[in-house]
Amino acid sequence: MKNPFELFGLEPNFLLDEQELSQKLRNMLQSVHPDRFASGSDQEQLAAMQKTTQINDAYGVLKSPVRRAQALLQLKAGLDGSKEVTVKDPVFLMQQLELREELETLSAKKDMGGLMDFAETIESMEDAQIASINELFQQEGENQLLESDKILTEIYKLQFLRKTLMDIEAAEEKILG
Amino acid sequence: MALLQIAEPGQSTKPHEHRYAAGIDLGTTNSLIATVRSGVAETLPDLEGNHLLPSIVHYAKDGTVSVGHSAKIFQCSDSENTISSVKRLMGRGLADVQAIKAFTANQLTASGIGEKGMPAIQVFDQIKNPIEISGEILKVLAQRAESALGLQKDEQLGGVVITVPAYFDDAQRQATKDAAQLAGLNVLRLINEPTAAAVAYGLDTGNEGIHAIYDLGGGTFDISILRLEKGVYEVLSTGGDSALGGDDFDRAIATHLVELAEVDSDDRQAYQMAMLKAREVKEALTDHESIDVHFMNWNGQIARELINELMTPIIDKTLLACRRTIKDAGLKPADIKEIVMVGGSTRVPLVQEKVGQYFKQEPMTSIDPDKVVAIGAAIQADILIGNKSNDQLLLLDVLPLSLGVETMGGLVEKIIPRNTPIPIARAQEFTTFKDGQTAMAIHVVQGERELVDDCRSLARFELRGIPPMVAGAARIKVTYQVDADGLLNVFAEETTSGVQAEIQVKPSYGLTDSQVTEMLKSSIEKAKEDMQLRMLREEQVEASRVIEAVRAALDDNGKLLLSQDEYEAIESSVIQLEIIAQGTDIEAIKEAIKIVDTNSKEFASKRMDASIAKALVGSEIDDI
Repeated sequence: MKNPFELFGLEPNFLLDEQELSQKLRNMLQSVHPDRFASGSDQEQLAAMQKTTQINDAYGVLKSPVRRAQALLQLKAGLDGSKEVTVKDPVFLMQQLELREELETLSAKKDMGGLMDFAETIESMEDAQIASINELFQQEGENQLLESDKILTEIYKLQFLRKTLMDIEAAEEKILG
Repeated sequence: MALLQIAEPGQSTKPHEHRYAAGIDLGTTNSLIATVRSGVAETLPDLEGNHLLPSIVHYAKDGTVSVGHSAKIFQCSDSENTISSVKRLMGRGLADVQAIKAFTANQLTASGIGEKGMPAIQVFDQIKNPIEISGEILKVLAQRAESALGLQKDEQLGGVVITVPAYFDDAQRQATKDAAQLAGLNVLRLINEPTAAAVAYGLDTGNEGIHAIYDLGGGTFDISILRLEKGVYEVLSTGGDSALGGDDFDRAIATHLVELAEVDSDDRQAYQMAMLKAREVKEALTDHESIDVHFMNWNGQIARELINELMTPIIDKTLLACRRTIKDAGLKPADIKEIVMVGGSTRVPLVQEKVGQYFKQEPMTSIDPDKVVAIGAAIQADILIGNKSNDQLLLLDVLPLSLGVETMGGLVEKIIPRNTPIPIARAQEFTTFKDGQTAMAIHVVQGERELVDDCRSLARFELRGIPPMVAGAARIKVTYQVDADGLLNVFAEETTSGVQAEIQVKPSYGLTDSQVTEMLKSSIEKAKEDMQLRMLREEQVEASRVIEAVRAALDDNGKLLLSQDEYEAIESSVIQLEIIAQGTDIEAIKEAIKIVDTNSKEFASKRMDASIAKALVGSEIDDI
């Protein structure tokens, strides 16, 4: 089976143009979506469903920075990016603790405004994290190998931020009832 | 078992022949059917000119079934045998619905459907399940369409699109599809009500951007966020509450009326009357600030302000769902370009006011909120049946609720998160726990909560026929496939041996395939139709559909994609099928269809790849 980049006719690269991606998605689905075969043969309906499933799945991978980085690592270094990593970076570990604490304090106080501001802070941290992952991928050149272990760690950090954002949302939902 | 009836039985359709398709809005309070005629989508009236068919079914002692206005007359006089709001029972469990006041404790009973028991209604000595009752409503709608379209006695609708609340779970969708099957309808697609409304508004015409569809019906609330770009409707997120609607306004007002009149709140007759009065009051206060009300022995004035107070908590609940759904789409309320109002309950001034305040703009209400969903469904049905050119509009929808499996300790492991575009599939690997183990069970649930008990149980899948191996050696790959209707299918394979595990599905609240067939059979026997003849016709129609589809594909790019041998193999199997389909041997026709299917499987897949390649080239040219 083709990898997500191939399926979308893209060079394997961490940087990608979201507009181009969704344009390609639309063009491909216009021709293979099951709705195009609603009165076709069973085989056509089945093939359309399978192709669309593949395309939707690949789109999901390409759209998410975490999953895209993992797919790229797999492709370039044969590494399974979804496996657990141990992060030893003390600055990050400290930060992790502080962020969890802040979330707990804000949700205990039922501080909606505070939670929203906190979410914005995490979002900008996410952007910075994505930028640094991109930098690591771009460094790979003629004389430089891909620093795949470092990338794994950075992906883990990004995942942590994502998880924190989801927990903030859950906390907000809980306050709103 | 799919009932696909595209053309007049026995006749093969010509490629560009117009086929009749309809869109059905199967609502909690009212249902409608619409079709596209001469390029215009419109809802169809009954002989008296009513477009809305009340979703009420009455069973008389002599077995006569009446639906709609003729059933509504019995609502007070024979309330025990008159069923309204049946949509609220679809795909649910008895325990879920006992709190709904639309049904009495006497009425609700066990249907014997599903592991956990779908509720049913006791009418005289018979038990009617929600699927059958909904089927009666669908039959009446289909008859209305057939007579409005001037179809002959042996002609049928080619296919229908039925709308469901976006927030319907798998069991509720499956129940809807089963009801259509019982009514003898070919379902082209189930589509979500808000998406249908978006189609009706023709939001593709120079109206690109992000739109929110706020759909408050009688018994359900849906909110969907859609992005429209170049004829593609992409659902970004969807949310709502499948047990919240305008009926709750009526109930809140009715409860207040019962209190005012100091009537016993357990008095069903009084409560039914209070509900009718409540609806009247609500509707009258749409245009008036205050009205005089007489209810039982109570007389007095009711001001809009009072009912607004009663309705506010319900509307606030909908706004909370809006907030969550906009967030799920990764957007803010300010990103919404337009907000479209759907469903009769959006006529309530307070709803429009509060929604307007939340989105900071005037909501769109130009199409009759009662008809907009059926109209959109009709437009989509017309496209799916092939009456329109392909490059028009495309709906890309999402899974409304996360799918998960039960793990140790009654916890849920999410497999496919909500708002994932469909169709989609995910695979999971399991292994055996004991030496020689040949079976295992998987419990699939739907919902966002962490505990199995807090989610909706969909089905238990029992895998059998796993080759006996030592514990932990077997690799069982279970694939969860959600199709374009949002329905789940599960496949399992032992990957080291390639053995397909047999799956037995035990739906928690739904029918198994054999139960559907059984119900279909008995309903046909009752109608004294010739089952054999009907099955033969279905098979012949299916055959001509396959012949036409495969021929069209061969003509399109068969020569390009196939070797001469492959081409000839497919062509000869098609010719073979054509000959056999003229006979009366149902099994032989089935077999011949299967051969064509097998022969053309590779070809279908090659065609998809060719289309993708073409689409990608196209997009690159556009980019320049």
